[in-house]
Amino acid sequence: MAQAGKGRLNYRCPACFMRDLDIDMFYDKEKDEYYCLRCQYTGKEKDVLEGNEMVRTKYGAMYQRFTKFDFD
Amino acid sequence: MGEFILNVIHRPEMVPEYSATVTGHGKEEDIGDKKLLTESLDIFKTQQRLAHENGLKVTIHMTYAALFNDEAVQIAKDDHEKYGDEIALSLLGLPCEQFRDKYKTKDFCIWMFSMEDKKTIVDDVFAKFHERFGFYPESTGSYYMDAELTNYIKEKYPMVKCAIATCWEEGPKAYHTCNNSWYTLFDGGPWAPWIPSKQNTHAPAADEAEDSGIVAIPHLSRDLLACYDGNGSNFGTHPQNVLRGMIYDSKTWEFPYLYNLIDQYRAQEKYNNGYAYNMMFVGPGWMNKMGRWEAPYELLLKSYSDGCKYYGGLKKEGKLIDMTMSEFADYYRKKKSYTEPECALWRDILYGSDKQLFWYTDPYMRAGVNMDQGGAIFDLRPYAAKLKWEVGIGTKHVQDASYPFLIQEKYRAGYFTHYAGEGTIRSAKICYQGEEVDLCLCRTKAHFSQEGNTRILTLDPVDIEFYDLTVKLQTKLYFAEGEGTIRITREILEMSRPDAQVEINEYMVACYGTTEYPEDMSGILLRCEGSETKEIVYEYKCREESLADAKEVSAVIPAIETKVSMRASEGAEGYVREGYAFSPMFTLGYKKQVSEKEVFATWLKLEKAD
Repeated sequence: MAQAGKGRLNYRCPACFMRDLDIDMFYDKEKDEYYCLRCQYTGKEKDVLEGNEMVRTKYGAMYQRFTKFDFD
Repeated sequence: MGEFILNVIHRPEMVPEYSATVTGHGKEEDIGDKKLLTESLDIFKTQQRLAHENGLKVTIHMTYAALFNDEAVQIAKDDHEKYGDEIALSLLGLPCEQFRDKYKTKDFCIWMFSMEDKKTIVDDVFAKFHERFGFYPESTGSYYMDAELTNYIKEKYPMVKCAIATCWEEGPKAYHTCNNSWYTLFDGGPWAPWIPSKQNTHAPAADEAEDSGIVAIPHLSRDLLACYDGNGSNFGTHPQNVLRGMIYDSKTWEFPYLYNLIDQYRAQEKYNNGYAYNMMFVGPGWMNKMGRWEAPYELLLKSYSDGCKYYGGLKKEGKLIDMTMSEFADYYRKKKSYTEPECALWRDILYGSDKQLFWYTDPYMRAGVNMDQGGAIFDLRPYAAKLKWEVGIGTKHVQDASYPFLIQEKYRAGYFTHYAGEGTIRSAKICYQGEEVDLCLCRTKAHFSQEGNTRILTLDPVDIEFYDLTVKLQTKLYFAEGEGTIRITREILEMSRPDAQVEINEYMVACYGTTEYPEDMSGILLRCEGSETKEIVYEYKCREESLADAKEVSAVIPAIETKVSMRASEGAEGYVREGYAFSPMFTLGYKKQVSEKEVFATWLKLEKAD
């Protein structure tokens, strides 16, 4: 088995990101999957992108444009 | 309408942070890689173009490496002539072949070098700057500038009047986010420009004698709610930080959060005598042609372009004044007095919670108030101590440049703790016939006002429901300029049984530290003073003392040369409480029986301990 490398883009681990950790993932070309060195996450590119959308669920007002910043 | 000032800063960094680890993955390190140098310069040119296309003036922070590059020097000279950009000197961006050859180290953070090396490097880069431009810079900066470094620069190069001197709440949270490999530990500073004291960079100067001689600006303008509980580098006026936080629509590449953040900063002029501030400073590593994490170059470019366009649009509408750093220093010196505080009434603009915080900074303290916890103080830094805290190799704090806290609800819990013990918080408990309600559980909102030199936070009244009694209570916090005190009043507006009495227990649970881990509390002196004096010297023995009509209850924390005390309106019983090993805290407090329409006031004071 050859060493892992970086993929097309430098994806971070979605599972670690959810706990506020920015960890680059590495790409295993034989399995065509990304994996995390720190936790046990593995996934195809599609899984990673879906995981990134899960990450965004904590930002409940991410798409909202605010015009008022006080409660007066 | 107030004035909203913007500083845009670019640095031609010949070996951008991250590029070597991202672009260079799988290759042996080559700090002189010509491809890297060309790409870095291209990014700098792109940033300059985007700012100028949008009519924005830039402060160009020449790095040490850039001073060896003729093209970078020429661009700076040309853009100074054509656009009025300021040519300044950065103490970031030290890594390059010339630096490595001379200093034989891979260290690159100026605040972490030994004092001797700091002086040598400063003299070296200032001399090189002078050689290239024929004058010394008026502005400089790094992610952090310790007081000793600033004092040296000011002594040797008195023309320096502005510096990027800290990055708000870039401490253990940023360290953790980077897999414990990013050693920028400097929590506890101001979030907006200030005049640092000669003693400690974080702590603003109280008068001319303490004035370090520079106006400090923060590295970026951070989200004052999101950064306190998350990675600061996701939530700032740095478009690529917003991408780092994945706070954009992955289909449309739109990111309204950045504009909400900028606009919320604009709104702060209401609390700061008509002045608000923003700073945007994106290092070239963030616009890497290889992309940055999952964001491709096209998105990185779009985000910076859109950021410049938004600021440029505000300028065209007359809602923004762009300045260079040295221009801003002159503006700030005219606009602000030493004791005028910086205030921020801040709402959640990201998570949809409607939580609201208030931040206050002056030469005596930094305090955070959480309206979602009934106006509890959840962060408190005793700037009054002006703690001498040298950092760098050869000192007690090689990396840890944070200003210590007395209260930090994330690192030392807050209201909620697991199983036993208490967390740091300044709140009150309302007690009635064996029932107890902490105001931390009363969610409300606040309104800002100013009377003379006192800033007042008036909270909407809250209802407290006991088994057979309902109490309507209103909290107000008063921050008196130049006094180092916070007065808190609780007024019983009405009770369902007007003849009832409730006990208000005003308390402050505190400790000290800069990280998530406990410090040695031994030797902290707890004292009740009044008709007699009662003392406890901290030994983790869970002891308590109280005194009727106590004139003052206090704690002296020798390790951070701080005295924190409380006083109360007449007729209250003061108490002090020692913690124990599983709860390494101390508590100061006052209890009083209060009737309808009565106001119970307490004063919290911070002083330097002798």
